[in-house]
Amino acid sequence: MTDVMPERPARRLKTWSSLGKLRRLPSEYEIVTHGMNYTTRTGRFAALESNPTTPTNMWFLTYRDHSPLRAEDWSGFRDPDELTYRKYVTIQDEQETVVEGILDEYGPLAHDQSLEPEWIEFLSTVFTPTRFPAHALQMSTAYMAQMAPSSYITNCALFAGADLLRRVSLVAYRTRQLNDATSGVAGIGVREREVWQAHEAWQPARQMLEYLLVAYDWGECFTAMNLVVRPSLDSVLLTQAAELAHAGHDELTWLLLSNLAADWARVERWSTGLARHAIEQRGENREVMLHWIDRWAPRADAAVSSLAGLLAAVPGGPDQGEVVANAVAARDRVIAAAGITG
Amino acid sequence: MARMPREQWYDIARDLDWELSYVDHEAVFPEWHSGQGKIPREAWARWDESYKISYPEYVATQREKEAGAYSVKAALQKSKVFDQLDEGWKSVAKEHFGATAAIEDMAVYAELRMARFGLSPAWRNMAMFGALDETRHAQIGLQFAHELVGKDPQYDWANKAYQTNEWGIIAARATFDGMMMTPNVVDTAVQLPFTFETGFSNVQFVALAADALESGDINFANMISSIQTDEARHAQQGGPTLEILMEHDPRRAQWIVDKTFWTSARLFAILTGPGMDYYTPVEMRKQSYKEFMQEWIAEQFLDQIRDYGLKRPWYWDEFIAGLDTWHHSLHLGVWYWRPTVWWKPQGGVSPEEREWLNEKYPNWEKQFGWMWDVIIENINSGRMEQTLPETLPWLCSLCHLPVGTAASPNNDKYPVRSYPLKHNGHTYHFCSRTCRQIWWEDKDTLHDPTVIERLLAGEIQPPTVEGILAWMGLTPDVMGDDAYGYRWAKAYVPAAAAAS
Ligand SMILES: [Fe+2]
Ligand SMILES: [Fe+2]
Ligand SMILES: [Zn+2]
Repeated sequence: MTDVMPERPARRLKTWSSLGKLRRLPSEYEIVTHGMNYTTRTGRFAALESNPTTPTNMWFLTYRDHSPLRAEDWSGFRDPDELTYRKYVTIQDEQETVVEGILDEYGPLAHDQSLEPEWIEFLSTVFTPTRFPAHALQMSTAYMAQMAPSSYITNCALFAGADLLRRVSLVAYRTRQLNDATSGVAGIGVREREVWQAHEAWQPARQMLEYLLVAYDWGECFTAMNLVVRPSLDSVLLTQAAELAHAGHDELTWLLLSNLAADWARVERWSTGLARHAIEQRGENREVMLHWIDRWAPRADAAVSSLAGLLAAVPGGPDQGEVVANAVAARDRVIAAAGITG
Repeated sequence: MARMPREQWYDIARDLDWELSYVDHEAVFPEWHSGQGKIPREAWARWDESYKISYPEYVATQREKEAGAYSVKAALQKSKVFDQLDEGWKSVAKEHFGATAAIEDMAVYAELRMARFGLSPAWRNMAMFGALDETRHAQIGLQFAHELVGKDPQYDWANKAYQTNEWGIIAARATFDGMMMTPNVVDTAVQLPFTFETGFSNVQFVALAADALESGDINFANMISSIQTDEARHAQQGGPTLEILMEHDPRRAQWIVDKTFWTSARLFAILTGPGMDYYTPVEMRKQSYKEFMQEWIAEQFLDQIRDYGLKRPWYWDEFIAGLDTWHHSLHLGVWYWRPTVWWKPQGGVSPEEREWLNEKYPNWEKQFGWMWDVIIENINSGRMEQTLPETLPWLCSLCHLPVGTAASPNNDKYPVRSYPLKHNGHTYHFCSRTCRQIWWEDKDTLHDPTVIERLLAGEIQPPTVEGILAWMGLTPDVMGDDAYGYRWAKAYVPAAAAAS
């Protein structure tokens, strides 16, 4: 053994040896993200240092390592926004400051008391109940983050999950304000769970999100959620609801929903990037994702057209078919940007 | 005008459960992920975190913390602080970076599992913050360690260690995977935030920050203290979970707390013990490892579990006795097998250091002194090959640390020996009765061959020391050697002794 000891070849590393093939200096983002998830290490006997047949090891094997969505090198994927923890809390603190400014400007009580009863009815049916679907998405996003085959993907999903907690929080905050302004008579702050569970217009969306919770293959979870479910649903619940609020002079709701839509726009950027990376890695991944899209698109269409009725019911609201067409177009745009169609 | 106080809307933001209608509850919360066990579903409505924080408060606080930690780092960037640090202390830092960066990241996955499969929405939200916190810890550690890779390739292991089969890393993976990833999330919450974070890492961070300051490593102290402030918050997920578990299944609670404390203590003896009692320069040591463990870990842990109605673990006397031996044995092993680690273990047995050891550990001389005398004799006669290993030691099938390191050579009560167990025609070896007992209870999940078993099975080729080192991922420029180039042994050279 002594012969391996004395000579220490001088080697000056510029960065992690695992980033050696990069041929350029890595960014701060890469330094703190690269190669972290050791359950994906090469030459492993199982994901975890335990019996390969434990439920957790079998779960990783089945739903991650044997997913139909496969690639030689997932660690080649990069978040276009290059989010690190530090960057994330900084930009979101800035956004929360923006939100605080909005909330201040519209002196909530006076603003909310000026809203028409029909509009209050709309908010209590389409806006305040969204803490439930947002939480379902938060759970599924947390799932995708833990199952992703690279720390680059995990971190994207992790921040997306935190965004959804942000959304739940803001909706809860507004729920309380609206409850105060209406003295509870409109049912705001009281009937959200009932609306979510029993209102006919919500049921296809709830069904879709409950199915999403058990879409355990990580690739299907990602494709279904970020390329189908969210583009469709958020087109209605964020974008189109915001436009409707704007048209109906509820500036506050318009501004808040638009602010939340920026979080989704970031998720859309990395999701389309990830899909393109998957296809670059392995052409067959296009078919794999297409197959899942075909499975989930009808569910999304059903959810969207049912909710579209609620937007159309607002006096001066849009045509139901137009809402659906917009949502489908939003989804198609994402799928095209993902390099899957067109 | 400011925002409404948190209390006015917080409960709405965590009132998020509904009755599933389109899929089965068991499909969304599978038993082995969610760990409901004997706990009735309604019980989870009581889950209440004591430390409340909202999203806007979280990002504001954390942004400020990040700005603070990184500005200290930037201010120190051009200073000569690092070059003046003691090699022994650097070893503490290198071992820490390598052993923890990827574990902080694995804690992200544990938090994400709780954020998805936890049976209370309040808990799932808290776990989301926990996942963010642990991401921060992984990233801040990597960022600080990366600054140093150009100066010393051993810092590369902050990123690399857990991708390898280095033996200490296998031991750490076995312990942490068993604590955070293999079990259901109820057990995870009691094992990770309650037993490990509240019991061990939170207090260790406080001690480590103090030692770093003492050693002049302001950068490291700054990083560690900043991390610790998060730990105190997300570690509180354990309490409310344990309360519910105690009410409905106290036996299960007692078992998972007991086994986690034991496996954590075994790992701590190698992660923290040698650093405190051998690597850190003697004049900078605040407390011995034993004193630290007694005061901060053992006593606090007993108080803490008593508060929840738990009993003292059955192996307690053996654990306390181990404070006199485990980490000394492990230090001897690490120093002897130094090419297999990514830091420079400081021998730490100069006459002056030995005096300190004997003062802190009255039995040290009898237990370990004579073994170091053999090593010192070999070093001073230039027989270096005899201070280096020819093969691997036998390893414990539970903690994956060398058999013999839960004991010491001249200890009547816990002598060096293996505690074997025959099962299905195979003989397993353990470092202690307790490891054997834990393994027996959990054998279905724990069956994982040790490095020595893999070597004997022909999985490591060639089966030579060089082959083993390559299999473990050690490159020649990273392999550990004595931190001071054996300088500490020189005082024992007879001529030097006579001259002084
Ligand atoms: Fe941490
Ligand atoms: Fe932690
Ligand atoms: Zn053991």
